[in-house]
Amino acid sequence: MVKPTDRSSEGGPRVSRRGLLRGSAASGAAAFGNFAAGAAEAQQSQETGSTAPTVTFSINGSERTATLDARTTLLDYLREDLDLTGTKVGCNHAQCGACTVLIDGTRVNSCLTLMATLDGAEITTIEGLDSEGDLHPMQQAFIDNDGFQCGYCTPGQIMSAIGCVREGHAGSAPEIREYMSGNLCRCGAYKGIVAAVEQARDQVEEAG
Amino acid sequence: MTIGNPINRIDGKLKVTGSARYAADFAVGTPLYAELVTSTIGLGRVTGVDDSAARRVPGVREVYSHANPLPVDAADFFGMGGRAQQSWQPFAEPDVRFNGEIVGLVVADTLIAAREAARSMRLDYETQEPAAVFGAEGLEPEELPDRGLSAGDIEAAMQAATQSVDETYRTSANTHNAMELFATTAQWSGDELTVYVPSQWVEGFAAGIAEELGIDRSRVRVVSPYVGGGFGGKGSLFTWTSIIAAAARDLGRPVKLYVTREQGFTTASYRAETEQDFRLGAGEGGRFTGFEHTGREISSRADTYVVNGSENTSRMYHADAVRTGVTCVHADRQTPGFMRAPPETPYFFALESGVDELAWKLGMDPVELRRVNDIDREPVNGVPYTSRSLMECYDAAADRFGWSDYEQRVGSRTDGDWLVGWGCATATYPTLMAPCSVRLHLDATGTARVWVASHDVGTGAYTVLAQATAQALGIPVENVSIELGDSRLPPGTIAGGSISTASNVSVIEIAARQIHDKLGTTAETMNPEEAFANYGQRAIEEYAEWIPPAASRKQARTLYNGKVAIVGGPEEDYTAFAFGAEFAEVRVHKYTREVRVPRLIGAFAAGRIMNEKTARSQYLGGMIWGLGHALLEKTEVDPRNGKIVNANIAEYLVPVNADVQELEAILIPETDEKVNPAGVKGIGEIGIVGTAAAIANAVYHATGIRVRHTPIHVEDLLPQA
Repeated sequence: MVKPTDRSSEGGPRVSRRGLLRGSAASGAAAFGNFAAGAAEAQQSQETGSTAPTVTFSINGSERTATLDARTTLLDYLREDLDLTGTKVGCNHAQCGACTVLIDGTRVNSCLTLMATLDGAEITTIEGLDSEGDLHPMQQAFIDNDGFQCGYCTPGQIMSAIGCVREGHAGSAPEIREYMSGNLCRCGAYKGIVAAVEQARDQVEEAG
Repeated sequence: MTIGNPINRIDGKLKVTGSARYAADFAVGTPLYAELVTSTIGLGRVTGVDDSAARRVPGVREVYSHANPLPVDAADFFGMGGRAQQSWQPFAEPDVRFNGEIVGLVVADTLIAAREAARSMRLDYETQEPAAVFGAEGLEPEELPDRGLSAGDIEAAMQAATQSVDETYRTSANTHNAMELFATTAQWSGDELTVYVPSQWVEGFAAGIAEELGIDRSRVRVVSPYVGGGFGGKGSLFTWTSIIAAAARDLGRPVKLYVTREQGFTTASYRAETEQDFRLGAGEGGRFTGFEHTGREISSRADTYVVNGSENTSRMYHADAVRTGVTCVHADRQTPGFMRAPPETPYFFALESGVDELAWKLGMDPVELRRVNDIDREPVNGVPYTSRSLMECYDAAADRFGWSDYEQRVGSRTDGDWLVGWGCATATYPTLMAPCSVRLHLDATGTARVWVASHDVGTGAYTVLAQATAQALGIPVENVSIELGDSRLPPGTIAGGSISTASNVSVIEIAARQIHDKLGTTAETMNPEEAFANYGQRAIEEYAEWIPPAASRKQARTLYNGKVAIVGGPEEDYTAFAFGAEFAEVRVHKYTREVRVPRLIGAFAAGRIMNEKTARSQYLGGMIWGLGHALLEKTEVDPRNGKIVNANIAEYLVPVNADVQELEAILIPETDEKVNPAGVKGIGEIGIVGTAAAIANAVYHATGIRVRHTPIHVEDLLPQA
């Protein structure tokens, strides 16, 4: 599994930060969904010992504050509370990469990321990539190169591919293959995925 | 020309933006969440259920088990013409038939509470020792004499051989592991039920759910417009689907279930392990004399399910005499089911390894041995192929691969510390078809809509059906929209057996002809505005059916009764297969014995290709599956307790990006006007067939070690002492 966590390696302005500045003024409402509803009860439960931390973070440029069961993962929060179902669940064990999102510009498996750890974080999901209907270059590259079949791993592949380029690990096809191997594609679209990363690499690097 | 054009997938934008809704992505208000509880023993019965801790978890609504069951009957088993993945319902009785069987269900307000409660369930068991794997005591072999083939005198033919192979080959159990977790969301509105479940067969699921819940089929709607990988694993009704629907009815709320990755290994189907005895004789010049191929396949205690791949291996080459047979070996396991090229993947590993072994014994180039035995009539019934381009595939792939430099000598190639080997094998898949209907709408703006309860499991069906519609009507492909994956649509085909394109395109062409007949147009002359003005209407909607000519009346009726009938492949008066040839280069490290596959090149001929881009992806994906079958994939069953010990996607190894290096699929043009009106052969499965044998044959070339089982691991290649 290749998922570097060194956030100092990125350079230049980041799409997610610009998104945060754009969206933060209009939001700020607390999010109480299914997890949050259960959280109040869970908090009182001596037996489970769970607590309900309050965290403030941004998702796709929109700032949110939520009080959540401490066990809530980013993946489940996105999908079940916010209906941001573009991020997929494939294993819940950080083994497949289908749930990859960007946190502060770095690719992370959201299934093993607890919301309680995300105070102040900027989260970008697949839904936050395109701007006003225009596809991100990496999204277009996946279409052009048929970098998917069923499409289920695709959001994770695309988020991971952007992270991979930003890390500077997309220099050659062998390097892309190595650094994209944390994202499984059971349909076997690997050749198209590598071609897509190569196609979009320069544009992603320029965008930072 | 629209057909064949490598246009981008028309559903591509939905998929790259995360907007395509898979089963677990549909919002149903505020659902309750379910979590399965599975058995921790391999055989026995539940003697006590202590759900008190589970019920104390805040937010838990209900706990079901055999002590508190749901009213669900078992639908008939798919393998016996029904719809369900197995013949019995979980926790209807206290019996535990295999390790990891569903024994309970927890429903709670939140996903977290459901998970916690499921893990708080305490079950007492009376445990028996299971017979779960080949070699265990207590297996029940069931010979299936009706499934065997016989032509000519096999013993005389074998005696006439100057060289022969007589070996046993083994393939491992495999698990589909589509990236999408199995999931089910059930929502009632009065007595109308909607079920969101990943399905390769929405009509069969709907009919099966109705059967299991005892309600009318018209009350059940199954929705599955996008499927996160099928591979056969979503082709028959899951055991839990009706249970979730029953729980939703019981609790008066929508219920949503994610089956965990681990549970997916035991609660859904799988490819069972096989043992195959294979004999092949050759006379002067390499012409085959006798062919004998018999298999033993694991199944559950209750269900008889075999894939019986020698029905097809026996039809690949010349033989003076043929004998095949199959035995179902009942074990304490879940019922197996389809998995990509179900019969061919295991059985062609044996056939194509065996042919290679014979080539070495004869001192013949393995490509030439296949050429000597190329045929235009299959040897069992003596009927002709509708088309057969096997050697064209061999020649094209061999040329691209550089096979003319092949030297049939172990160790003939090295590169530093790497032993290099080359191998090849035949790929094939029968051309199958099924009854199919369609509703086709065309309006005066030249916009067409297509409705059919068929599926796109990643194959590209949305795209190629749009191309077929555009071509048949004579309109731009951008003007066509396609709706699939909903049991309320006109009856379509199961997404299995590589039947979808042939069947759906055939019926679309009929519907388009009906529209042309009314409008007095052809595809070449279509001017929608003018045509509709002359016709005096703004739109036409036509319904059409296509029944494959080989289908019996009973098979034709399956179009409307939620059952499935697949025809084609070897029939009585013709035989229809797609063919391919695959070449592999492997490198085995001299010291670590690690195996790498730097090159994999296949050539395939499959009739009319609807879209070169999506077709190529299908072939390449299939070849990657073959790579996994050859070197990585094995569902490991602990013989002591029947437990699958690598039930996760880190330890059940599937190919990752770095496993795939040079990979190429060559599309060989082929016209087949006999096979079906569309001239289409299925391509979803052929890519996997032959790959494992090509790799095993290359491993032999590199090392001199003949591995007669899959997957081939490092420990199989340790230098012989």
